[in-house]
Amino acid sequence: MKLKYLVTLLFALLLGTQLLTAGTVSGKVAGAGAGTVVWVDDPSAKAEPPSKPLVMDQKGLLFVPHLLVVPVGSTVEFLNSDNVQHNVFWTGIGGNKKLGHNLGTWPKGEKRSFKFDNPGVVSLLCNVHPEMSAYIIVVPSSLHATTDANGEYTIQNVSDGAHTVTVWREGMKQQSKQVNVSGATKADFTLSK
Amino acid sequence: MRIKSQALWIVMLLAVFCPVLSHGIPAFSRQYQTSCTTCHLDFPKLNDFGKAFKDAGFKFPSDDASFLKIPQVMLGAPAQKELFPHTIWPGAIPGALPVSLRMNTFFQKTGGNRGNFGSLVPAGTVPPFIPKTDFSAGLFSIFTAGNFGSDIAFWVDDDISIAGQNGNGGLGDGYLRFVNVGRIFKLPTDSLHLRAGRFELDLPFTQARSINISPYDIYTQSNIGAVTTGFAQQNVNNLFNFAGGSNGVEISGGHMYGGYHYSLAIVDQNTSGVGQGANTSPFVPSPTGGSNGGVGFASDANFKDLYTRFSYRFNLERDKASRNAVQAAGATGPRDHTYLNLGTFSFYGRSVQRFSGTDLSGTPIVLTTREPFYRAGADFSFNYRTFNIYGLFMYGHDTNQLPVDITGTLVPLPLGPTSAPVGFIHGTPATFTGGFIQTDYLVLPWMMAIMRWDAVNSGQDRINGLAQSTSTPFVLPFRSTRNRFTPGVQFLIHANIKASFEYQFRPQQSVTVITNPITGLPVAVQPFRTNTAVTALEWVF
Repeated sequence: MKLKYLVTLLFALLLGTQLLTAGTVSGKVAGAGAGTVVWVDDPSAKAEPPSKPLVMDQKGLLFVPHLLVVPVGSTVEFLNSDNVQHNVFWTGIGGNKKLGHNLGTWPKGEKRSFKFDNPGVVSLLCNVHPEMSAYIIVVPSSLHATTDANGEYTIQNVSDGAHTVTVWREGMKQQSKQVNVSGATKADFTLSK
Repeated sequence: MRIKSQALWIVMLLAVFCPVLSHGIPAFSRQYQTSCTTCHLDFPKLNDFGKAFKDAGFKFPSDDASFLKIPQVMLGAPAQKELFPHTIWPGAIPGALPVSLRMNTFFQKTGGNRGNFGSLVPAGTVPPFIPKTDFSAGLFSIFTAGNFGSDIAFWVDDDISIAGQNGNGGLGDGYLRFVNVGRIFKLPTDSLHLRAGRFELDLPFTQARSINISPYDIYTQSNIGAVTTGFAQQNVNNLFNFAGGSNGVEISGGHMYGGYHYSLAIVDQNTSGVGQGANTSPFVPSPTGGSNGGVGFASDANFKDLYTRFSYRFNLERDKASRNAVQAAGATGPRDHTYLNLGTFSFYGRSVQRFSGTDLSGTPIVLTTREPFYRAGADFSFNYRTFNIYGLFMYGHDTNQLPVDITGTLVPLPLGPTSAPVGFIHGTPATFTGGFIQTDYLVLPWMMAIMRWDAVNSGQDRINGLAQSTSTPFVLPFRSTRNRFTPGVQFLIHANIKASFEYQFRPQQSVTVITNPITGLPVAVQPFRTNTAVTALEWVF
């Protein structure tokens, strides 16, 4: 019986320690409004892919949505809702050209799936309609956020320590910086083209 | 003689340097917010989707409204149809003015023989100077197209600067096309369309919207009979050719991107080349209602010409999944099917010539001869992925009706003021043959390699050249058969900007004619070629 209480006490202490060391990273991204993606590269944080595949649709000669943020390991279904054929390909992931892939071409109503096992920015293209464009941001964990209309963001449950915070916005240069997280930590960015 | 020399230079310059028209439609890009390459391989050459878009009346073949980023403006609620005939049938106009513009500019280099024609100028006259290299402005064109609802499509294009600085423009095509009117008669879908206005005939391969810088020789071939003394003369002066637009109506059916396709057009006859503005009467009203001519008349005779075309495209696509789609699916995006298209075309008309003559009693009258003529040919097109080889062969035939005097003797040609014909008899027909074969290979999505061979065989052109006549379709040809080889390459700098290069190995010509001491007939010697290299920059927006 004593052993049972002892274990419970130890577990509570461990949990408390963990909660005490989990911080928050927040800040403002200047030069951008809503829709800027921010993520923290925290090795201790786990990615939690959704149980159901996310959907990237092609409708009216547009990718819908234009921006999709998914944890690494997620599966995305690429659907064609148009009455014309579409193609989906990307030339690399996170700048790694070796991860480029072409899913092929398919007609209305059909879809193709792909599991993203590597983090990074995926620039989606359709070689039938070169004007079509969308992005999938494969983030390394669930520690990510999207800025609000004021360009502000908050990411919770970041463990204390030195982490890399990365900011991405379409048309802007991606930025990363080392941030020593300790409780509520501020990390502001200024994006440029 | 001076006028003759000037005409020679004008004809030569037009023949060598006159660029063909070509159009892409940025207005559609704006409305659908899609790239030119959705419909074009190397603008203005259409891919299969572009052909389907055109067939459908400048609409997406299905679900058009879902693709339009700028909705059409309704000219009546769709429910108004229920009230018809007590209301106007509801239509629509494009939500944004579908106007597009096009400009091109050229740089050309002409071979060293360009100065040879100076010898034709009379002694004491300074011949025109033709430079070795030259920058020249091309055409600035405006064009608009779209759909008015109820499957009524429209197209208008006009070359604003065709006559040079501050010059008058020239209308290209301007028509309304009633797509699928066969539904009124419960005919199968797409089996009957109606087009009215001014349009390029439904040629196997378009001249007006060709990717080439220079036109196809066979399309610009008129039929001018031989009139050189010493040879069998022909009274044929038919300026009709396929390069120009026609005014009339056309019915058509089927699809250009697969299966059967036919068209039948009834168009104005104008073989004398008279301009519409010049063909007027102060006593007869024209369509504008003006008492003294209005816009004038486009015909020069009562007869209407008839053009027919039929083709069938065999789908050789091996990918079963996409054989029935507009385009085949590939790992790198849709591509045109593998296909073989075979077709035939014909044109029938009457070349009308009028002369001052007399009747059998010697009373002055206007003599009219209506010489039937026809053009007939066949064409093919084979496509494998990004490689396309196509061509056509054409035969031209003009009945030759020779003027005779009251004694039944042939009156020497050309007829002069003192000639006194009283009638006509059949002579040897004036015929010609020719065609072209072209290969287009899309090496990369932005680079098209082209090889083309044009050939025209016209004995009468060569004979007229011996008299150094400048009124023939090709000036002073050395041989009856004129071969031209034209390699080219085109680069899409952007989807709407193109740089084109073309080198023309042109047919031989001659300006030196001697008399054969044995036959006593003239014979051309010292042939030469005026090869040219042309670079074009073209942009549409």
